[in-house]
Amino acid sequence: MGFRRFLRRGRIDAERALEMRAHLDHYADDLIAAGWTKDAACREARRRFGNPTAIREEIYDMNSLPILETLARDLRYGFRMLRKTPGFTIAAALTLALGIGANTAVFSVVNALLLEPLPFPHPDRLAFLERHFRSPRGESRDIGADGQMWLTVRDHATAVDAAAIGGTSGVNLVANDQAAYVQQQRVSAGYFHAVGIPPVIGREFTKDEDREGGAPVVVLGHELWTRVFGSDPSVLNRTITLKGEAYTVVGVLPENFPITQRSSFTAGHGIDLWTPLKASTTGEGGGTNFVVIARLHDGVSWAEARSDVMRLAEQAFVRWRLRPDTLKELSFVPMQGAMTQSVRQPLLMLWGAVGIVLLIACVNIAGLLLARGSTRTREIATRMALGSGRRAVIRQLLVESALLAMAGGVLGLLFGWLAVSFLGRLGADVFDVWQPIGVNGRVVAATLGIALVTSVVFGLVPAVQTSRLDVQAGLAKTGTRGVAGASSRWPRRVLVLAEVALGVVLLVGAGLLIRTFIHLRDLSPGFDETNLVTMSVSLQDARYKETAQVSGLFEDALRRLRAVPGVVNAGVALGMPYTRLLNYGFRRIDGAHVDGEREGQITNQSYVTPGFFETLKVPVLEGRTIAESDTATSAGVAVVNRAFAEAYYKGDPRVIGRHISSGGTVREIVGIVGNTQQGEAGWAPDGVVTGPLTALPCAYVPVTQTSPGFLRLVHTWFQPSWVVRTTMPIEQVVPELRRAIQDVDPRLPIATVSTIGDLRGNRLAAQQFMMSLVAGLGFIALALSAIGIHGLIASSVTERTRELGIRLALGATTRQAMHAVALPGIALAAVGVAIGAAGAVAVARLLRSFLWGVTPTDPGTFAGVIGVLLAVATLASVVPALRVLRLDPAQTLRAE
Amino acid sequence: MTLKKRAAQELLQGTLDMLVLQTLRLGPAHGYTIARVIEQRSDAVLQVEQGSLYPALNRLEDRGWIASYWATSENNRRARYYKLTASGRRQLSEETSRWDRMVRAIGRVMRAIEE
Repeated sequence: MGFRRFLRRGRIDAERALEMRAHLDHYADDLIAAGWTKDAACREARRRFGNPTAIREEIYDMNSLPILETLARDLRYGFRMLRKTPGFTIAAALTLALGIGANTAVFSVVNALLLEPLPFPHPDRLAFLERHFRSPRGESRDIGADGQMWLTVRDHATAVDAAAIGGTSGVNLVANDQAAYVQQQRVSAGYFHAVGIPPVIGREFTKDEDREGGAPVVVLGHELWTRVFGSDPSVLNRTITLKGEAYTVVGVLPENFPITQRSSFTAGHGIDLWTPLKASTTGEGGGTNFVVIARLHDGVSWAEARSDVMRLAEQAFVRWRLRPDTLKELSFVPMQGAMTQSVRQPLLMLWGAVGIVLLIACVNIAGLLLARGSTRTREIATRMALGSGRRAVIRQLLVESALLAMAGGVLGLLFGWLAVSFLGRLGADVFDVWQPIGVNGRVVAATLGIALVTSVVFGLVPAVQTSRLDVQAGLAKTGTRGVAGASSRWPRRVLVLAEVALGVVLLVGAGLLIRTFIHLRDLSPGFDETNLVTMSVSLQDARYKETAQVSGLFEDALRRLRAVPGVVNAGVALGMPYTRLLNYGFRRIDGAHVDGEREGQITNQSYVTPGFFETLKVPVLEGRTIAESDTATSAGVAVVNRAFAEAYYKGDPRVIGRHISSGGTVREIVGIVGNTQQGEAGWAPDGVVTGPLTALPCAYVPVTQTSPGFLRLVHTWFQPSWVVRTTMPIEQVVPELRRAIQDVDPRLPIATVSTIGDLRGNRLAAQQFMMSLVAGLGFIALALSAIGIHGLIASSVTERTRELGIRLALGATTRQAMHAVALPGIALAAVGVAIGAAGAVAVARLLRSFLWGVTPTDPGTFAGVIGVLLAVATLASVVPALRVLRLDPAQTLRAE
Repeated sequence: MTLKKRAAQELLQGTLDMLVLQTLRLGPAHGYTIARVIEQRSDAVLQVEQGSLYPALNRLEDRGWIASYWATSENNRRARYYKLTASGRRQLSEETSRWDRMVRAIGRVMRAIEE
């Protein structure tokens, strides 16, 4: 029968009715014409015609599609059944929605950051230059390049278009009479050509502009061009003041130009403008401060590109002083893999966690469907007794679980969409997100796939089990007459067991991450954290080339800041607590350890002004701090912290009075101060494991005793900060503080204003992100496990009503009856917890790199998780068992 | 419904379909006319229950052998008229020849027993 007639069968039926009516009328007309009375004619016509209703039904059936008919009936019936048990329906749909939603969200992030190709043309042809050292002591691979490596590749590589990226940092822009703090990235000539996205207006840098002394030119980002220059195309060749100098605009980039380099300085910032790298082999180029990217020429294979660059290794590493048995190699690694390196591990971990949640959700759904199957034994037995086939019963149950899955899937997508937008915003502060995170087609397909598989697989198990049922026994027992221990409960018990075990694994992971976060949060800061505000500025500025200009700015501003009402004290430092410090070399000249003329140590260094330690209230352990009397002309001094003394003067009876040489200046150590917590990527002596926060060794020098070259170098990476201790509420004092600095230099924009708490928060954002997510997932797992156990016990009480009634009638106490019902749940949970704990020991090992101040087998965490799960399991078992109290034995027996 | 009964009904249906198509070869007609023509041309031997005509019409229309439209009848009443389509004409000639073959075959069988 045609589908068209199926859809039109209602209208066809109405037409048939009219048509048959006309038939009868015509017949009656003829009979009346032949002399019949009207009544007799009508009667005769109807007699000869037969039953019109029966005929219409016959035609209606002819125009039907049997499969669709039954499906529609099953759907209607399914809806009715789901509506009749709202508790089950809501629990199941929410369970699925949580599982699917969490999965959608995390998969969206994984997809955007790991699976999607980088947002450049032909991203598979893009590479990073990698240096590779091998020696009998081990091997290392790193992406950083120094000036010599870059210049060698630039001038001699033939198989690729290469370009280099330097540091990204905040700089001062003065345009349209307004000073602004913007993010600058320095790139070599050919960079935009290599990545494959040229400027939309103007051009990129020429080789002439990209060398020391080359013309100062700038390429603007689309966003800055729109925001500051009103999308004016005539901005080309205009002069803007950047870093205190005149720069000529030569190009504007297209919208959403993607970044190609992760940097510990820029996470969370976009880049506003680009200037030429002007690489050399000294200063910045003396260290591995560049990243070299390359685009393989058309038709060049990766092997050819690698061997092309391999032959340059000798020349590229000519400045490296390595032991002779070290094998030095240059190579290319695909950009996609290298860029995702840093986010891969945390993302895969999240994916694992969310996978566990989905598994638990599926297990729960299976449990709920099993329970539903057993409570519907009587209904199904009745249907089968009335002639319903086994296939029909299975089909009906499958349609019901498919309905559930669809409801869960739709809810889950909604929930996932909300979570994605939340994660996208949160993640942008933590990861460099190089493309927008959104729910895309692949994610939707994956999600619907999960919903469907869940529905079919877990809908089928109970369906087959239920329909295998013995009709007679089903009708006779009706589920309430059996004695405990029906074998049909075993599958559910296994499911609950699995659920609890998986929950333990996830909760232990969450617990360890929470412990880590608490450990980091509660680390002794080493100073008084309260009532401190910091304000940073960029001094990568032509107006601050000389040491006297820099120290003059600091002093003038400090004088004004100290005069602001409510300000107790103020100081300046290159690096604040909780931030990353400058890694810098020095030599020990005297004492128990002396470094040779060509040797040296690397440590962390910061310049400070008088008042810095006093403002922070860092304890002075020995000697003195930096004073006003430490000037450009007085003898060189340094203050070190305890970690420094312990790392570099171990066994030396005294540290005060020893001399170090750094940056060509000899300094006497005049004081030892307490340690402060510093951020990751600071230099740690051998054997010290650094976490996101560590009390790193540090040498502090007076800003007055630094060289202009040193300042120019460090100011390309770091923005110095004033730190102010105040007795006033912070939001009230900040405008005053801003004005004090603006008074000294109106063309110097404030880069950031933060409290010390903000600085710590930034540093711990990644940990907090991971912790909140995993803890949230752990909570979902716990809730789902509780639902699972509760459901199991509740249905066993229902199934055993009769048995319990008889037990009570025969003299069992309610206490005994409750024990009989609730104990299996608690016992199951205990076994599940034991299995889960064993699994958690294995899984926690994988977490090692995320843990600080807590071991993967932390007994406290394990004990806590086990305790919480057992408590929840007990509660989930006892609450439904309380129904036994309401059981009336007399009524139960009368119901026979 | 048993298989036997079903086969019998199908045979009957096939015959009725053929009669309806044959009737419509004379020109478009509505249900009552078709029923009357079948009765009259068979000299009132084939007196089917008139209602059973309609499932047959529905089936024939679904197969595309006839088409229908509403028009005013000779009695000045609205009625649904049916007419043969091209494929209906082809179907009729096929059925007619098959019917002829069958009648001849049955005729030969019947004669053989008589002699």
